[in-house]
Formats: sequence, structure tokens, C-alpha cells
Amino acid sequence: MAPIRLSLPGLLRYRALAVRIVAESARLVSRSAVHDPTDPLAHDVRDPFDTAVVSAFAEIFNNIVVHAYHRKGGGAIEIAITTSERELVIELVDYGSPFDIERVPQLPAELDDAALPEGGMGIHIAKTMLDEMTYEPGPPNLWRLCKRS
Amino acid sequence: MLTTLYDVVHDDRETRLTVRGSLDINSAPQLAEEIDRIVAGKPPKVVCDLGALELIDSSGVAALVKLYKAVRASGGALAITGTRDQPLAVFKLLRMDRVFNL
Repeated sequence: MAPIRLSLPGLLRYRALAVRIVAESARLVSRSAVHDPTDPLAHDVRDPFDTAVVSAFAEIFNNIVVHAYHRKGGGAIEIAITTSERELVIELVDYGSPFDIERVPQLPAELDDAALPEGGMGIHIAKTMLDEMTYEPGPPNLWRLCKRS
Repeated sequence: MLTTLYDVVHDDRETRLTVRGSLDINSAPQLAEEIDRIVAGKPPKVVCDLGALELIDSSGVAALVKLYKAVRASGGALAITGTRDQPLAVFKLLRMDRVFNL
């Protein structure tokens, strides 16, 4: 199956567009029902597979815009989505600064009031939601996200 | 119909913050400003209704953590209600469902 391809400026204003396309791509694999067909603007991310894919993708998109392009754009985010019967793979390529994924802190073991994090959760969300997540620094930098149904 | 990201209703007993749609890296800064206004009034009880919240990301979670910490620091209590679907899954993944009593 040929991948679904999308190229977007590396800016947050294109995030919602990308998230909607990824949500619908996830639905191709999960075959989840649309709860309200009369509301095309509802996000309707309820199925666990769709939830995992959309949550992870959104965090990686954020990461590229913020860390690779420093919120200033200046380059593209190239997205390739491959769907099969039981798997969805998303590759995101950017041409910005490489990200040091090894320096992302772990979540605290015990979450009391003082330890509640106010940042640094995105990579943890993406990694935990997916079956596989790899990152190859460049540039070009390549994120590969894989979720199996 | 146009809907707003959030609305706030104050009464004698509580401050009710209702958040809708997608609370994310684009919308969280807007809510954070409202959170600053809410917390400045040192409310004894804040109810944050997430029943109409469809999507959240780590920036949205950070905004709600900020609200939780600020309300508690001023001696108040925060109750988060109605959490469902993707936002609930994210809170559970981060183990914040226990902190927020979801």
C-alpha cells in the first residue's frame, strides 16, 4: 500500500490539520466508528488505538516545531503514514536541529504535589502509547512511530 | 455553532472552569492566563469540568498541573470531573489519575 504523504511548514498553526489526518488514518486500521457523523469538526478520538496514535503523533509534532525549528518554522515536516491490516507506521522527517532524546528526564517514581511535572512529558507520552518509537538525528531528523492493533 | 475553549463561572461555593475541545500546545497558553486570574482570587474550591474536552497533550496537562498546584498552594481544593476518552488515557499514562482522583 502506498503511503499517505503530507508536507507541512514546521509551525504550530499546521498542527491541527496534521492531527486530523493522522486521526483519520488511525481509523483506517482500527475501523473505529464515528460517534457523531453530523459533526465533522468533532475530534472523536475514543478508540484506544486511535488514542495512542493521535496522542503520540501530536507530541512528536510539537517536539519538532519547538526543538527542531525553535517555533520559528523555516523548514518542512514531511509525514508518511503507512497503514496495513493491523499496523500503522508514521515517519516524520524534519530539517531542523537534532533533538537529544537521551536527555529527556524520566517521570518521577512517586507523583506527590511537589514532584508533579509541568513539562518534559511529551516524549514519555509518545513512547508509552506506541509499540515502537525510534529517532535518528540528522539533519534530516527522522522519527518513526509504530502502533499495532 | 462557535464554542470557546473554556468558560468560568463563580458563585458563593465554588469556581467552575469548563474546558472544551482540544487543550494543547496552541490553546494551553490562553488557558494559563485564565488560570492566573482564577488563582489570584484565592478560591476555596475550583471544579474543573473536562466532560467536553476531546483531546489533550502534554502542554494541556502542564496547564492543569499548574492550576492544581496554585489552588492547593493558596489553601484551596481542586476537583477535576468528567474526564473521558483520550484525556483520561493520557492522565492514566502519566499516573496523574491518582493525584487528581479521576
